[in-house]
Order: sequence, then C-alpha cells, then structure tokens
Amino acid sequence: MSQTFLSLQNIEKRFGSVRAVDGLSLDIRQNEFFALLGASGSGKTTLLRLLAGFETPTGGSILLGGKDISRVPPNLRQINLMFQSYALFPHMTVFQNIAYGLEMERAGRAEIRRRVGEMLEIIQLPHLAKRKPDQLSGGQRQRVALGRALVKRPHLLLLDEPLGALDKKLRGDMQLELKRIQHEFGITFIVVTHDQEEALVMADRVAILKDGKLLQCASPHDIYEHPNSRYAADFIGVMNFLPGILQRDGVRALDGSLIQAGRPAGARDGDKVVVAVRPERLHIGARKDGNGLKGRVVAMAYQGLDLQLHLKSDLSPDPVLVRLTAHDAESNPLSEGDEVSLGWAARDTRIFMA
Amino acid sequence: MATPAAPRLMLMILSAVFAFLYIPISVLVALSFNESGLPTAWTGFSTRWYGELMHNSDITSAALNTLIVAVVSTLLATLLGTLLAIGVEIRRRKGRFLETIIFAPMIIPDIVLAIALLSFFSLLDVTMGLHTVILSHVVFNLAFVCSVVRARLKTFDWSIVEASTDLGASTATTLRRVVVPVMLPAIVAGALLAFTLSVDEFIIAFFTAGAGRDSITLPMQIFAMIRFGVTPEINALATLVMAVSILALTLSQRLNRGGLPGQ
Amino acid sequence: MQDRKPVYLMAPALGWLTVFMVIPCLLILALAFFRRGIYGGIEYSFTLENLALVFDPLYAGIFLKSAWIAGLSAAIAVIVGYAAAYAIAAAPARRQPMLLFFAVLPFWSNYLVRTYAWIVLLNREGLITGVARLLGYDAEMPRLLYSEGAVVIGLVYNYLPFVILACYAPLSRLNPEIAEASRDLGASGWKTFRRVILPMTVPGIATGFVFVFVLSIGNFVTPALLGGGQFQMIGNLVYAQFLTANDWPFGAALSMILIGIMMGLLTLQTFATERASGARREES
Ligand SMILES: Nc1ncnc2c1ncn2[C@@H]1O[C@H](COP(=O)(O)OP(=O)(O)OP(=O)(O)O)[C@@H](O)[C@H]1O
Ligand SMILES: [Mg+2]
Repeated sequence: MSQTFLSLQNIEKRFGSVRAVDGLSLDIRQNEFFALLGASGSGKTTLLRLLAGFETPTGGSILLGGKDISRVPPNLRQINLMFQSYALFPHMTVFQNIAYGLEMERAGRAEIRRRVGEMLEIIQLPHLAKRKPDQLSGGQRQRVALGRALVKRPHLLLLDEPLGALDKKLRGDMQLELKRIQHEFGITFIVVTHDQEEALVMADRVAILKDGKLLQCASPHDIYEHPNSRYAADFIGVMNFLPGILQRDGVRALDGSLIQAGRPAGARDGDKVVVAVRPERLHIGARKDGNGLKGRVVAMAYQGLDLQLHLKSDLSPDPVLVRLTAHDAESNPLSEGDEVSLGWAARDTRIFMA
Repeated sequence: MATPAAPRLMLMILSAVFAFLYIPISVLVALSFNESGLPTAWTGFSTRWYGELMHNSDITSAALNTLIVAVVSTLLATLLGTLLAIGVEIRRRKGRFLETIIFAPMIIPDIVLAIALLSFFSLLDVTMGLHTVILSHVVFNLAFVCSVVRARLKTFDWSIVEASTDLGASTATTLRRVVVPVMLPAIVAGALLAFTLSVDEFIIAFFTAGAGRDSITLPMQIFAMIRFGVTPEINALATLVMAVSILALTLSQRLNRGGLPGQ
Repeated sequence: MQDRKPVYLMAPALGWLTVFMVIPCLLILALAFFRRGIYGGIEYSFTLENLALVFDPLYAGIFLKSAWIAGLSAAIAVIVGYAAAYAIAAAPARRQPMLLFFAVLPFWSNYLVRTYAWIVLLNREGLITGVARLLGYDAEMPRLLYSEGAVVIGLVYNYLPFVILACYAPLSRLNPEIAEASRDLGASGWKTFRRVILPMTVPGIATGFVFVFVLSIGNFVTPALLGGGQFQMIGNLVYAQFLTANDWPFGAALSMILIGIMMGLLTLQTFATERASGARREES
C-alpha cells in the first residue's frame, strides 16, 4: 500500500450557523479511487470545494504531500475539479477549452498542440476539436470537462457527480472509462456521487457522509459486509431491519421470538436495537443453528436471473426482502400467498442501536 | 452571479458611480430649496421658488399641456399596447418582421422619428398642435406598454383562458373578466411608465407641436428656459418634474415585480 | 382562443404604428432622393445630390467631430458602466435588485433636467467653481461649461444607466462555476476576467456601446445646452435642415445616415453576441 498523500485533519466549514463540514478527518492514499457518498446536503460538494480552494476551512487543516494547502489559492494548487455543471467555456472550442489550463502554465505552443492532441485521443473526441460546447452531446461535454482537467496532470482530480447528467447506459460505459483513465494516468481521484451502486463499481474506498460528519470510511466490500451504523447499512445496498429489545441471551423480536445476534458496543439489556440481514443471505427452510423467520409472499419479481420476494412477516413492520438465486427459486416453486420459512446464518446477522 | 471580486474595490466602484449619478441631481434639488437662489451661498431653507413657479403663466400653461398630452396618449397607448401584447403572445408563431415593428419605436433615434412625423404631418397639411404631439407620443408609448405587458404574459397561465372559454364565455368576455384582471398590475405599470415617458419627452414634441405658443409642453418650456442659464425657478421646476417621474416609476416598479423594461 | 383572433387584437396597434411610424419613415427615405425647392420646399424630381452632399468635405469635419465625441462618450460610458454592473453583480444576490433599481432610476427622469443639473455644476458661477474658490483656488478657472468635455460628461451621465443595465444582464447570467473552472485550471483573477468573463459578456458591452454611440451622434440637445453651440453633431445638422435652413431633403439624407450607422452597428453587435454565446448553430 502506498502511503498517505492527502490528509484532512479535523476540517470544519461553517456557513453562518450551518456546519456544512463538521470536524472531518480522512486520509487518502496515492493513486486511490476514492468515492464520497451521502444524502443531499451532507456536505460533499463543500468538501470538494475546500480541497479545490474555493472555500477556506473555518477549522482544521488540509495537508497535501505533508504541506498545509488550506490557504493556497485555487489557481496555485495542483488539484483540479471537474464541475457538476462541467463549466465549459462556451466561447471557446473543445480544443481551446482543453488548451486553456496549459496556457496558464505558459506551456509552449508546440507542446500545447501535442498534449491537447493526445488528450483528444484519450477522450475519443479528436474529430470534434473545433466544435463549441453547445454543439456537443451531454456525454461529449462530460468528456471534454474531464480532458480539460486531466491534461494538466494534476496530483489530485476531484469529480463532482461526474456522471449525474448521463443516462443509465452511458453511465455504465463512462464508469469503466473513468476507471481506465485513472489507472492509465495514475492520478488520485475523489468522486462525489449520489449513487451507491456507482460507488461500489468504481471506488477502492468509500466514505459515507452525514450532516457534514464522516460516518464510515472503508472499501465497498467492508462497508457492505460490516456497516458500522444503521445509516451506513441502509445507504449501501439493500438491508432488512428487524426491530427488537436487547436481552442477555439475544434480541426479543416483535413476535416474541428470540434472535441470535451479537451486541452493539456499549449497549445494555433492555435497549432498543435493530437486527439487520441482507436479502441474499436469507435462504428457504428453517436452520438448526442461526436464525429464522416466517412470512407470507405478497409480491415476487425477477431481477435478472434472481427472484426477489416481498414477505409480510410478524418480525417487521416493513416488508422483508428476499433474494433467491435462480437455482434456489427453481427447487422451491413459490407463488403469491404462500407461507415460507426462511433461515440465515449467525455470521450474516448484524445488529445496531435503533 | 457571484463573480470573483475584491470586495473593497467593488465597494469603491459602486460608491463612485452612485456619487456620479446622484450628486448632480441632488445639488439641483438642494438649490431649489435655497432661499437666496444662488448656487454659492446657502441662506436658508425656503419653498419660495416653488411659489413663484405657480405665478408664471408660461409654466402653468405648459404644465397643463403636458398633462393633457401625457394623459390622453397614455390612455390610448395602454389600450392599443395591451391588446397588441395579448395578440402577440397568443400567437404561437413568432414573426421576426412583427417583432421588429413592435421593437422599432423603442430604438429609432428620437430625432429621426421626430423629423419623419414632422414631414408626414406637413405633407398632409395637418395643422400641428397638441393633437399631433399626442398622436406621435402614442407611437413609442404603446411599444413600451406592450413590452411591459408581454413580459408579464410570459408567465401567464393560458389554461385559465381555456377554462373560461370552456365555461361558455366569449372571447371578449374572457378578455374582460379573466385576462385583464389578472394582468392589471402589469397594465397599470406599463401605463405609468408611458405617462412618465410622455411627461418627459422633448424632441418629438418639439418637432410636432407646431409653431403656436399655446401648444408648448413643459419640456419645451424647460428647454427654452435653460438655454439662458441657471435660475432658481428652473431649479424648482426641474425638481418637481423629477419628483413626478421618480414617483411614477417607483410605483410602476412596485406594481410590476418583473422589473423595468430592458431588465 | 383560436388562431385568427390575435389579428383583431393586434390590428389597432399595428395600424397605428404603420400610419405614424412606418409611413413617415418611408417618407423620409423617399424625401432623401428629392430635390430641394428654391424657396425651401420640395421639388419632386429624383436626385442623388443629397446623399452625395452628405459625403461632401464640407460636412466631413462635422461627421468626424460627431463620431469622435459619440465614440468617446460611448467608450467612457461602457468602461464605467461595465465596472458598475460588475460590482452590482458581485454584490449579495438579495441586494442586487435594489442596487440596479437605483442605478437606473436617474435614467427615467427628464433628460433635460439631468442635462441642466450639469449646467448648474459647471457654469461660471456654478458649484464646481464655488468649491474651487472655497479651497483657495484664486486663479482663472478654465471654462467648464460650453466645452467638448462638458458635452461628453453630459452624454455619459445621461446614458450611463442604460449601459449598466445592458452589461448587468449577461454578467448576472454568468454561471459562477465557469469563473471557478478558470481559476481551477490555473488562471489568476485577472486572467480569468480577461479570458473568460469579459469575452462572455461582450454582448452587453456591444449593446451599451451601440446605443450610446447612436443616441449621442444623433443628439442635438446636449451639444446645444452643454456645448453652447460651439460645435455641431449630426443631430444638430438634421435639426438645422428642418427648422432653420429648410433643406428637408438633405436633412432626410442625414437621418438616413444615422439609421444606417445604427443598423450597421447593430449587425456587428448581433455578430458579437453570437460569438460570445459560442453558438453558430446549423439550424437557424
Ligand atoms: N455558500 C453557501 N452558503 C450557505 N450555505 C451553504 C453554502 N454552500 C453550501 N451550503 C450548505 O451546506 C450544506 C452542504 O451543502 P453541499 O452543497 O456541500 O451538499 P452536497 O452534499 O453537495 O449536496 P448535493 O448532493 O445536493 O449536491 C447544505 O446545508 C447547504 O445548504
Ligand atoms: Mg453537491
């Protein structure tokens, strides 16, 4: 693993009484593809703007390669931001847009021509070099914005919902494209996204933000498997929550049955908790070890090869979701209204404070 | 926009520009209340010069003429301009030629329109007087009313018109009972604007009022007076004229939160 | 309402504009090609003399002088007006409408009154001289009123609010992220202004310039009042042809030139607008 490259230390940004970023600490490594995930208003854009230099933190410091850059103006930081709106210069051609940043570095004319040409190849738009931004499609504009930032070979590239404006198909393509480019250039990427699936596909590590605070920061797999809070569990992937009261020997569920689970740190008997289990960890048939629940099928739908069931169960006020593999579904033919018993392993059981 | 800007420099620019814009007229206003009437010596606050204005029959008759011109041309222009605006906005097809004709009165230099009208009236052997001034003022006034009303119509919910028609109202009834009431603030705003423009208009009136002394409007009177220098009476008169325009305009702005035309 | 109704609504106003604007303007156009009668009337025979006279060296001086004064006024008004519009657009959003309102308010008060205000300031016993005396300046004051400078100040003063409005429009529509993108790519504040903000707001500048130029070059009030008849603008020349020299065809030809200048400049301005928006789209 490469060492820490960008270090945020207890950063705070207040706008009047609003704490947009609230005491956040984070270390980002060289060449990492890092995703920021959070609900609207959680402070993602503000965090990027702090890194790019458009806001100054009201507390804490930002270290890049060991140097505090929190007061360095944006044009002197070797960090580039790809704006949510792309912010292409409408009066310049694609070529001129990409060349702009190099001109600011006082690169020679020949060098500019060469590097812009290379970049146009990489973003696959050499034939559109003379077009102006409003003669481009959304996906093309997005690539120009990316090229314009990348051509400067920044140490760090910040992307604010880069794929937000694209349709689903194009998004998928561009996700892979971004990943390829990041790999090729060996630049550290920090990507903001609303879309948890996108984060899971692209990122080496994910940070979940809530109200300006860092909730959890880990690899997508770790967050999926070991979310540290109910919020994180809910944010990444789909999760069933079964409310109950913590007791010495397990969790007393709504229907009075006892669920085997660990206990949240610092929890005491009698506390309200939720037991959580992922839909694909539920299997048909009761188990001897581990836990079980009964329910009636109220809806079923195929998602790809998998079959998704909605169960009405006494254990939960919300429908319980189950995801069966094609194989499981075939060996247990089901129809709406059927009663089923499901079981899951103790190691797949998570528990959080309610 | 939040343009990147040095706040202190911006403040300096704003102060300088506002000083440039407001110092001259403020001086004028202040002098109009100066007892001595002299620009160099302040001898005390007085409304004496306003009193003198009232006894100057040239001024009072010119003021009356201006009032007549402004009121009549505003009424006519408001009617024509409002109908025009509604007509243009109902049409889905936007004609470039039509737009040019409607826009032209606002951008043709006054002097060109003035001599054109003068030639027109004299070739037709029309005796010129207040009536020709009124006919001429309607030209630009209706264009301004039209632009204010159109700006409001852009956000007008046409489905209420369809609803009214659907409920059995004729087009005329729909106009009278639905469109005009909803549009009233904008129409009044346009009318106030037209009134101000007409009260202040000098060049076209100057060319189309004919030679008679009885068709002199207030701006014509002011022009004649200020050619011969500064007097305390002109200060008072100028202050009054300015107060009327500013009042009408502020009112217009209040009524029409869409802003001034051109904004 | 069906599609043929608008015609009835528009007819009265369009009729009015046709009779009292379109026909008179066409008349002026026609007049420019007739001969002047011996006693100042119009002789209805075709001639190009009036247009030729416009380009006579006799009038070249007036044209150059007018263009110089109008150009200078327009340039100053654009610089000051742009700076003011920029400062307003940079102010907190909730304060902008008020600032704009007060910047434009003088524009809607009487033109003569505003010009007169400068006579009050500049005349020989005026405020500026008074203040200079008060500060202990005893020598002979340079003549302030009835000078070229006074005319330029008067024109700038009168048309400045219009320029502020014209420049504010594109500035306020600017996406702040565009300027930030420029900073992000390494441009200084000044470079960002020159390479990005300024080119994108050229349409406002062009509109402001064209209008101040055209209104100034055709002006006869300000040269008469603040210039004291020291020199003539095209406007004064037109005025004279109609009211004193009684050569209407020549006056008509002169005003054709005014309109020509305006149309030419407006075409340039449209071009500038298209360039700035980056759009030269295939569809119209
Ligand atoms: N310039 C500002 N002035 C005042 N408040 C601000 C400003 N910028 C952001 N905020 C506030 O800070 C909080 C975080 O905003 P931010 O834009 O960072 O959220 P976000 O996570 O990017 O949201 P979204 O997903 O909707 O883009 C919000 O409550 C927002 O209202
Ligand atoms: Mg955001």
